[in-house]
Amino acid sequence: MPSPATLRFENVCRRFGRLSVLEGVSGEVAAGGALLVTGPNGSGKSTLLRCLAGLLVPEAGTIEHDEGDGSLDIAERRRRVGFVSPDLAFYGELTVEENLAFFARLRRAELACGLAILDRLGLPADRRAANLSSGMRQRLRWAWALMHRPRLLLLDEPFQNLDAAGERVTRELLREHLATGLAVVANPSPLEIDRVAGRLELGR
Amino acid sequence: MLPDASSWAAEATAVFAKEWRCELRTRYALSTLALFAFTTLVVVSVSLGPLGVTKSQGSAVLPVLFWIILLFSVAAGLPRSFVQEEESQTATALRLAATPSALFCGKLAYGLTVIFALEALITPIYLAMMSLAVRSPGLLVATLAAGGYGLAAGSTLVAAIIAQARSKGTLFAVMAFPVLLPLLLLSIELTRNAMGGEPAGVALSQLLLYDASVTIAGLMLFPTVWNP
Repeated sequence: MPSPATLRFENVCRRFGRLSVLEGVSGEVAAGGALLVTGPNGSGKSTLLRCLAGLLVPEAGTIEHDEGDGSLDIAERRRRVGFVSPDLAFYGELTVEENLAFFARLRRAELACGLAILDRLGLPADRRAANLSSGMRQRLRWAWALMHRPRLLLLDEPFQNLDAAGERVTRELLREHLATGLAVVANPSPLEIDRVAGRLELGR
Repeated sequence: MLPDASSWAAEATAVFAKEWRCELRTRYALSTLALFAFTTLVVVSVSLGPLGVTKSQGSAVLPVLFWIILLFSVAAGLPRSFVQEEESQTATALRLAATPSALFCGKLAYGLTVIFALEALITPIYLAMMSLAVRSPGLLVATLAAGGYGLAAGSTLVAAIIAQARSKGTLFAVMAFPVLLPLLLLSIELTRNAMGGEPAGVALSQLLLYDASVTIAGLMLFPTVWNP
């Protein structure tokens, strides 16, 4: 049984030039729960998730992600998180399976795990990523994010462009992930998700 | 936590294989490089061919033109390697998954194989079209190998630096100039020596030292350039 994972961030601030996007944002979530982040457009939800993923460095504040072996540094946090975001794209020249195989080698993950998720999501493995519809691309993002069995899942608009079947499967995947892992979910649409442990509203 | 050597090598190999797989399906860099190299080669050969320059002028001018052709061919195609990752938004997934040093080495290995292929293609054509004799073929091969490596390492590093900037083309030219100038001067001198049958002198050692310096600088700078 893996040690319980936790995520705690305090007074996170991030600016882009003169524009202050995050000012003193704090929150925490432990294994088995999801932190729901909501707010209007431009309130900093995606920026917060990128900071938590290690893709942006906050100008102030602390982010502590512990998976039982001490707080991870930013490089290790980047490698371990599962991340679903509209900004995430894959190699259009490669097929879905080739994309997953490439990232599985980088992350030392099992391709079989990614293919099993693909199968559940009903995504054809032999189709080129450039030929995927927007809903199919979103399914590929989910398979990519879960393939290395992350403890922390960061989801930015996770159900965007999915049809009813796709949304049902991804909600199932999230529920299964939350049995042992934790998640920060920004702007799910519709807003209801299971196992919400806390809410954070930005831009108020 | 640092990855062990075998997984690091597997990552670098995966990046190298991915680069070639994508390239072979689009042929963007290959066709750009080959087209540019062939066009400039023909222009130079027709304008300055064996009858256009005297023997003494040829030994002074032709090695310079050869390396200029190589430099501009590389500049036309290779920087796309990183720019494409940013423009197509694949950089985010790569940042989350790859060890920066392995990514740098995988991209460098890809650039190196492209440049070696280019050199293998244009060197014999250039020598034949200009009726150039090479008295020290071994030195020419060593110069092409060391110079090609330096071109690959320098252009990979500069491409990584400029990938997130807005004016990428201008910035590549500005940044590549100081990085690649010593390499070009040394490579030209060594090519002249190879054609004239003169010894390599200290230039070859300096070129190898340059290659090592750019590689170390790349490995040290790249994680900072690539990640926030």
